[in-house]
Amino acid sequence: MNNTFNINRFGLLLKRQWLDFGKIYLISLLVVAGVLIGFYSYYIPSIERRTDNFDYDGNLDLRFRYGIFLILGFLFTSTVASGYFSILRQKSRAILELMTPASVTEKLLSGILYTALVSLTGYLIIFYIVDLGFVKYLNSNIDAFRIANPKVPEAQSITYQMFSDKNYREYLEYFFAIPFLITSIFLLGSVYFNKFHYIKTAISVMIFSGIAIYVIYKAGGILTKNMVNISHRSAHNDRDLAFLMILLVTSALTLIFWTIAYIRLKEKEV
Amino acid sequence: MNYTLVYYLTNTVGMIKINNLNFGYSKQKPLFKNMSMQLSNGHIYGLLGKNGAGKSSLLKNLAGLVYAQSGTLEVMGFNPTKRQPALLEQICFIPEEFYLPSVKIDAYVKANAPFYKNFNHGYLFELLKEFDIPANNKLIDMSYGQKKKFIIAFGLATEAKLVIMDEPTNGLDIPSKAQFRKIMASALTDDRCIIISTHQVRDLDNLIDTVIMLDENDVALKASVEEITNKLTFKKVKELDESIIYAEASLSGYNAVMPNYHNEDSKLDMELLFNAILAEKIKFKPLFN
Amino acid sequence: MEFRDNKAIYLQIADYVCEHILLGKWKADEKVPSVRELAVEMEVNPNTVMRTYELLQNKNIINNKRGIGFFVDENATEHVKTYRKIQFIDDELPVVFRNIYLLNIGFDELEAKYKTFVKENFNA
Repeated sequence: MNNTFNINRFGLLLKRQWLDFGKIYLISLLVVAGVLIGFYSYYIPSIERRTDNFDYDGNLDLRFRYGIFLILGFLFTSTVASGYFSILRQKSRAILELMTPASVTEKLLSGILYTALVSLTGYLIIFYIVDLGFVKYLNSNIDAFRIANPKVPEAQSITYQMFSDKNYREYLEYFFAIPFLITSIFLLGSVYFNKFHYIKTAISVMIFSGIAIYVIYKAGGILTKNMVNISHRSAHNDRDLAFLMILLVTSALTLIFWTIAYIRLKEKEV
Repeated sequence: MNYTLVYYLTNTVGMIKINNLNFGYSKQKPLFKNMSMQLSNGHIYGLLGKNGAGKSSLLKNLAGLVYAQSGTLEVMGFNPTKRQPALLEQICFIPEEFYLPSVKIDAYVKANAPFYKNFNHGYLFELLKEFDIPANNKLIDMSYGQKKKFIIAFGLATEAKLVIMDEPTNGLDIPSKAQFRKIMASALTDDRCIIISTHQVRDLDNLIDTVIMLDENDVALKASVEEITNKLTFKKVKELDESIIYAEASLSGYNAVMPNYHNEDSKLDMELLFNAILAEKIKFKPLFN
Repeated sequence: MEFRDNKAIYLQIADYVCEHILLGKWKADEKVPSVRELAVEMEVNPNTVMRTYELLQNKNIINNKRGIGFFVDENATEHVKTYRKIQFIDDELPVVFRNIYLLNIGFDELEAKYKTFVKENFNA
C-alpha cells in the first residue's frame, strides 16, 4: 500500500476527522447564521424603524451586507482553520492523531480540505441562504417602500449581483486566493503555536505584513530615488498587472504556508 | 504488503533494533546516551526504571512520537519517525494519559477500525465482554478505568504486531487487573512483541518474560527471567554472608539476592532485583555482560 | 492460582499439573490444556507455561502430539511419582533432616508419628 497517498485511506481519514471537526464546525455555522440574521434584522431597510431606506441611486439600501460578508467570513474561516490542528496541543489527543495510520500528507490534505474548502463553502451557502431570505422578504413588502419612493427596483441577492454585474465581477477572480491565504495562515498557526495560537497568529501576521509593507515602501523609495515618473497613458495595463500580481503572490503564499504546515506536522513531537 | 514487513512478521528476528541512540529533551540533560538494544517478537518485555529514567520516552521513541538526536532506531524495518501508515497500523500504543472523543463505542470503532486491515471485530467484542464494558456505552460517560480497558481492547483488536503499553494497570481496579493479565497472556503470539512499562511490578511480574531496566541514561539490564534465575537466586535467609549481593530486611530475616552457585530454581523477585540493581549496579555488570 | 514466594513459577505450574494427574482430574491419554489456555488461567506468560510443558515432556509426564497438542502420558502417574520423589528428596528432605538432627528426634518416635499420620489421613 502506498505510504504517501491512498484514496481509500484518505476517505477513511476524512470520515474519522469529521467526528471531531464536524460537531464544532456545524455549531459554528449555526452561530454564524444567528449572527447574520441578527445583523440583517437590524440593518435591513424597514418602514417602521428607519427613515433612510434608500442609497444614492435610489435602490433599497443593502450596502451593510458587503462589510458583514467580509468581516464575518474572515472571522469564521480563520477561527475554523485555527481550531483544526489545535487538538495537537493536548498531548493525549496528539498521540491519538499522530498514531492514526494515515500519512502526514493525508492528514494535512484533510486539514486543508476541511479548513479551506468545507468551511468556505459552508459559509458561502449560509450567507447565500440568509441573504436570499431577507431579499425575498423585502421584495414581498416592496409596495410599502414604493409609497416613499415609487420607482424603487426590487432588491437583488448579493450572489445575483456578483454574477450579473460586470462591475462586481471584473476583478473578483484576482482575489480568488485570499480566503485560502487566510485559512492557510491560521491552519499553520494552529500547528505552529502551542498556546493562544489564534492571537499569536494574528499578531505574527500583523508584524510580518508591517515589515513587508515597510520594506516594499523603503525599497520602492530607494529604487526610484532620483528618478522621474513618466506616464505613457498605460495606467490601465499597470493596474491589470498589479491585480495579477496580487493573485500570484497570494496563491504562492498560500502554497508556502501549507508547505510549512506540512513540515511542522511532520516534525511534531509529543 | 511491504516486503520487509512480511519478512518481519514471519520470522523471529530483531523486531526492534536500537543502535547508539542519543535522546534528550534538552542538550544539557540527555536521557539516553548511546543506547543499543534489540527486541524480538514472541516476548512480553517489562520496562522498569525509576521515575524520570526515560521509560515513557523510550516507548515514544519506538512509536515515532519523538525524535532522537542521533543513532538509529528500526521497528519492523521501518524508521518510526517517518510515521508511515504501513508501520502505524502495526503499532498499538497505549499511553498513560489518553483521550477519547465524546462518541459512542460503535461510532468510534466504525471511524477508526477500517485503518487497520487485520482488525478483528469478533475479538474486540470478546475483549469488551471480558472487561465488562457494555458495547453501546458513550465513551465520555465511562470511568477512567473503563476507558483504559476500552483503548486496550481496541488496540489489541487491531492485531498490531507491536504492542506498547505505558503503565497499563494504572487506574484499573483489582478484578480488572486480573482480567488484564488474562488478556495479555492470551494476546502474546509468536509474531507479536509486547512492551509494558510499569512501576507496579507486582501487578505484572508473572506476565513479563524479559526484564529491561533503564538507569543512568542506558539499559542497566536486559535479560530473560530464565537467564536471571539461572545466574541469581532469590531467597529468604536468616543471616547475611559474603555471597549475598543485596538484601532487604523482612519479618523473618532477609530477602536476599545472591549468585546461583547451586543451580537453584528460585522465583524471580522483580522488586528486589530492581532495588538490587539500583544499589549495586557494578556487582551485576559482570553477571550480565 | 496463588503463587508462593520461593519457588520458580514454571515449577509451581508443573506441580499444579502433576497434582491434577495424581488426583485423576486429568487422565492418561487425555489432552491437557493448551499452553495459551493454561497461561490465561494462571495469568502468566505463555513462555513460562511452555517451559513447564518442556520440563514435563522430559519427565515423560506429558507428550506432544504434533499439531494436536499435549497429552497425558499413559504412565504419567508413575512418572509424576518418580519426579516428585526426586524433588522431595532433593529439596524438602534436607530441611526435615536438619530439624530432626537439631531437635534430636529419634527414629522410633518418627516411625510412630508417621504411622498415625497415614492412618488418620489416608485410612490405610
